[in-house]
Amino acid sequence: MIDTLDRIPSENIYLVNSARRRRLPFYESLVSAGFTSPAENYIREKLSLDELCVVHPDCTYFVKAVGESMIGDYIYPGSILVVDSVKMVFSGSVVVAWVNGDCCVKRFVRKGHMIMLESSNEKYPPIYVHLGKDQFRVLGVVTFIVSKPPKYVRFS
Amino acid sequence: MYALVDANNFYASAHRSFDPTLEGKPIIVLSNRDGNIVARSNEAKALNIKMAQPFFETKELREQHDIVVFSSAYELYGDTSSRLMSVLTQFAPDVEVYSIDEAFLWIEEYMGTYPTYQDLGTAIRQKVDQWLRLPVCVGFGPTKTLAKLANRLAKRTPELNGVCVLDTPEAIAEALSEFPVKDLWGVGSRYAAKLKAFGINTAAQLRDVPDDWINSLMTVNGLRMVHELRGFPCHMLEINPPARKTICTAPGFGKLIPDLANLADALTTHLCRCCEKLRKQDSLCGAITVFLHTDRFRKTPGNGLPAKQYSNSITLTLPHPTNSTTELLTYAESGLKAIFRFGYNYLKVGIMLSDLVPGDYRQKGVFVDGPNEKLLALSSVVDKVNQRYGQDKLRLASQQYNPDWPMKQKYLSKRYTTRWEDILEAS
Repeated sequence: MIDTLDRIPSENIYLVNSARRRRLPFYESLVSAGFTSPAENYIREKLSLDELCVVHPDCTYFVKAVGESMIGDYIYPGSILVVDSVKMVFSGSVVVAWVNGDCCVKRFVRKGHMIMLESSNEKYPPIYVHLGKDQFRVLGVVTFIVSKPPKYVRFS
Repeated sequence: MYALVDANNFYASAHRSFDPTLEGKPIIVLSNRDGNIVARSNEAKALNIKMAQPFFETKELREQHDIVVFSSAYELYGDTSSRLMSVLTQFAPDVEVYSIDEAFLWIEEYMGTYPTYQDLGTAIRQKVDQWLRLPVCVGFGPTKTLAKLANRLAKRTPELNGVCVLDTPEAIAEALSEFPVKDLWGVGSRYAAKLKAFGINTAAQLRDVPDDWINSLMTVNGLRMVHELRGFPCHMLEINPPARKTICTAPGFGKLIPDLANLADALTTHLCRCCEKLRKQDSLCGAITVFLHTDRFRKTPGNGLPAKQYSNSITLTLPHPTNSTTELLTYAESGLKAIFRFGYNYLKVGIMLSDLVPGDYRQKGVFVDGPNEKLLALSSVVDKVNQRYGQDKLRLASQQYNPDWPMKQKYLSKRYTTRWEDILEAS
């Protein structure tokens, strides 16, 4: 029996990026000598959310949303935002950015020489950024939002 | 062609990459127990804060200037470093991680989308800035020594915009003619002084010395360096790092300790850590060094005069290489007893294991047997138990146990990428 605690010798340890791990296919059919099974093509493989949400593992950050300014974009207080710093920022992208030191999640809109950071909640006015005058730095584009479903009872 | 990519003021920049308000502010990063300064931003360097300067000495400066202080956050640096190294593999398939913030890249003739080395360097800088918000400098050269030299030039010459390419004999000759010998990779202060005594001050002068002469002065390592300066590669990329040659632990106490009993406790704790590391890389050690010293900066309370100082070290050669904690402890304790002097307040006691040999090495002398195999087996069982149930769950009775003992950190920053409770918040 192999003791699970037995140390692996150090030369057998490699730096592995789990996000780049490729799963081996698992064949669900039994092997029978003589005939090839018609079910051989059905391969069972587990799905992973990382694979779906994290395209660039080295350049992805998780950020927690606070406040209700982006409720119209399904970003609620406590939502976890998946932010990718490789993706290009376009007019209309939802980005996480620092404006004069405050970290915010907003819709990025170009307005001539200025940048408008728009909320999707009418209670919050847009923020105008003067490039060169204001300190502005984009962390990345929000690619996925992880939230729990809200708990309430709807009375009909 | 080799390239050396090196992050500028890596620790300070790692903190900045998650807080842009730190841009332009002096930042200092402290050692494990907040004792000394281990990293500074350029602004802090401009304030004449020195590397390894004791933190308390900066009190006055901190009152005058808005200096940002961080305890060392190795989780953050480690994760930032692994992201950086991983990003670099996109530019070249072979990357040698040389230290936490430097990597050598092997660039073949074909460079894909980048027509020149200059363009490749600019692209690396620009991508790392966009993706990781870290400033880096890139130096290109036909050998590792020249790449390192090019990197130094890129760092100190703002007009180069962080990229320096030494690809033609003319460019190399020009760079060497003004480069001081003491800043070369592999020349310490001792060799620099020796070379200066012979009138060798620039890298160009060193390049032109006769082979025999440099071989006798600086051994074969010096000869290799001279060959590298001439453009012949002697050091290849080391993608799989070799096992370490020495293991050392010597954290400060955070307070002063006068008595032997407490020193011995601390020494035992350090030794246990060292032995764990030793067994982890499957080595035995053949020599053990114990050292201790008082606080160099302490003033005697009352009269304010510098306190009396004492420091000493002793190296014991073992009869046979071993990695058993109990066996090594006997030697370490007798070493400590030999150098301990009563009447001083000690700041630090440390231990260094050297003369490391592979774990299956057995040397039998005429009068001594090899290491006690039973003790070796016992140590590996202790390691397994502690691995499963947590550090120091099974420990020597003489080992002081105080869970909050190892770290004293007052200026902790957030670990933005490795702890869920520390991730950035956006409103």
